[in-house]
Amino acid sequence: MSLLWLRVAVLLYGIAALAVLPAALYDRPRWRHLAIPVAVTAFFFHFVSLAEMLNAAHHRLPIETHEIQVLLALVLAAAFLLVYWRYRTVSLGVFVLPVVFVLGLIPAFDPGQRQSSLTVNGSIWIFLHIALVLAAYAALFLSLLASVLYLVQERRLKQKKPGVQWLPPLETIDQIAHKTLLFGFPCMTAGLLIGSLVAQLTIGVSYFRDPKILLAFAMWLAYVVMIFIRRQSGLRGRRAVYLSSFVFLVVLTVWAANQFSAVHRFTTP
Amino acid sequence: MSQTTQGSLVLLGINHNTAPIEVRERLAIPSSRLADATRTLLHQPGIREGLILSTCNRVELVTLQDNPPATETNKTDLLRFLHEYFAVPPNDIQPHLYEFREREAVRHLFRVASSLDSMVVGEPQILGQVKESYTVAREVGAVSSTLDGLLQRAFTVAKKVRSETQIGSSSVSIASVAVDLAEKIFGSLDGKTVLLVGAGKMSELAARHLIQQGAASILVANRTQSKAEKIAADFSSPAVYTEAIPFDHLYDLADRADIVITSTGAPQQLFGRSHGQHFLQRRRNRPMFFIDIAVPRDVDPRMNEVEGCFVYDIDDLQQVAAAHLADRSREAAAAEIIVSREVEKYQQRLHSLDAVPAILALQQNAEAIREAELARAAKRLADLTPEQQAAVEALTRSLTAKLLHPQLTALRESTRTKDSE
Repeated sequence: MSLLWLRVAVLLYGIAALAVLPAALYDRPRWRHLAIPVAVTAFFFHFVSLAEMLNAAHHRLPIETHEIQVLLALVLAAAFLLVYWRYRTVSLGVFVLPVVFVLGLIPAFDPGQRQSSLTVNGSIWIFLHIALVLAAYAALFLSLLASVLYLVQERRLKQKKPGVQWLPPLETIDQIAHKTLLFGFPCMTAGLLIGSLVAQLTIGVSYFRDPKILLAFAMWLAYVVMIFIRRQSGLRGRRAVYLSSFVFLVVLTVWAANQFSAVHRFTTP
Repeated sequence: MSQTTQGSLVLLGINHNTAPIEVRERLAIPSSRLADATRTLLHQPGIREGLILSTCNRVELVTLQDNPPATETNKTDLLRFLHEYFAVPPNDIQPHLYEFREREAVRHLFRVASSLDSMVVGEPQILGQVKESYTVAREVGAVSSTLDGLLQRAFTVAKKVRSETQIGSSSVSIASVAVDLAEKIFGSLDGKTVLLVGAGKMSELAARHLIQQGAASILVANRTQSKAEKIAADFSSPAVYTEAIPFDHLYDLADRADIVITSTGAPQQLFGRSHGQHFLQRRRNRPMFFIDIAVPRDVDPRMNEVEGCFVYDIDDLQQVAAAHLADRSREAAAAEIIVSREVEKYQQRLHSLDAVPAILALQQNAEAIREAELARAAKRLADLTPEQQAAVEALTRSLTAKLLHPQLTALRESTRTKDSE
């Protein structure tokens, strides 16, 4: 049943991703009135699907690759809806909704049989660790996206062409980029702390010599530095994009490091 | 062209396309006299309902008249009204007049309300002006069912055009383009600070537009301090903080402003690239928007290269306005399609009303026959149970409705066809 709900959600995300194009690019309110309710409905089915998926697997934790992917898509969709609720802009949906659609597509139509190598006791702490780190990833992705859009809008305004109509004003984009970063930071800090405590209790000190874990702490440090620089100098535009891109690359490296880690893997080799 | 049982719709007028300002100003009606003029129009022979639309670009008489043959008679009557009311010789007006009847009058009114017939296509004021004329006409009892329905429809069409096209989404005047650009940079202008350097009508107009959109502080710098103080006093209001700053301190204080409007007559540039870098540093990279209305320019165009500085001179603003105007023309084509569709719908609705008396007569006649036949058969049906009697009643009603259906459909169709012919 969870697959059915996920397929419904993915289909609805697809519709929302299409509807958001005329809503944002041509400023058609009618399409916006379609895109947002459809995205909210998709989010609801998505949530139900994930809950059923975890319940059916009896581990109640997203530990398999497709489950993580589904959870990441859910967090991204939530982030988009939060940004819409706060700033009344659907512009980010042009990029975020297709990503959510693609992230959900593979688990929905090719769930696979990948088994986890993790010994999971159904601890709520591991769930929190995963959810918080994914929320931080989603926040960073949105922040990077907003920084790029800032650059696009700034270039257009400087070229003396009428601003890109479908993009929010520069200050709003900057706020989205900054606030999402600020939101992501406590998520990442708490996520890493919880993960470290659980690892300390279950695996011991050797866990902290794993390259994946070391990279994760490097990622946290990069995040701190980025927030510090942005706050201190009010960094915007081109340099903000470079900085966000660098941290995002670190995040991708950390994500990819799961494949090489001896102790922190989603799936068995 | 067809007339309806409701009367004949005639629209007579002049506008910016047909008459020069010298003629238009002689026919212009101030809002204080609009009620009196509408009342006078209503008293003209053959006028059942009437409305006068008078703006700086047009004077139009929208009238519902007794069904006359389509001759020059009613045009002459309206012309006489214009001649008598405004004391303008008919020969001075006649060459500039246009007249629309029925469907074309409806189309014209929808186009006017939707701002498709305006001098600046898409400008929003015209809808308010049509509404004002309508309100006055209603107050003096000059509009009732037909014109009331037509005007309500015109308002709906105008709103539809605004919501379904982007005809009014971009600004076409220099001052409003400046405000649009400021909003594109800062989002809301609430609490923003504007610095006026120099004096000039256009820069003050732009500043007033910015205040209307929420700017909270106006700083004024002028080489003559007393002039700066006077301008600051002109902007003074409880909602706006104003301050005349000494010209010598301009470079120390300019970074307080989010938006700088310059219009001095200085022969050399006031702000160079390095000033921009300096301001941005002090503002911790918060953007600054320079609107340079001066000729020769007050702001070095290279300041635009500084990240966070946006410099627009008068030519840039004019180019944006021209681009917006071109956008509006494209959107106007889509708006014309909406208007045509709505005219068609309105005409169909109007003519379906024409068929109403005939439809009612047919239905009443059929009902009378049904009741008479039931009464004749009453004795024979007396033994039936109440349920059976109710079934017979329902059966006769259903039969009558089904027998009438083709005739009623044909009647509605014929009025529609008559209209499209």
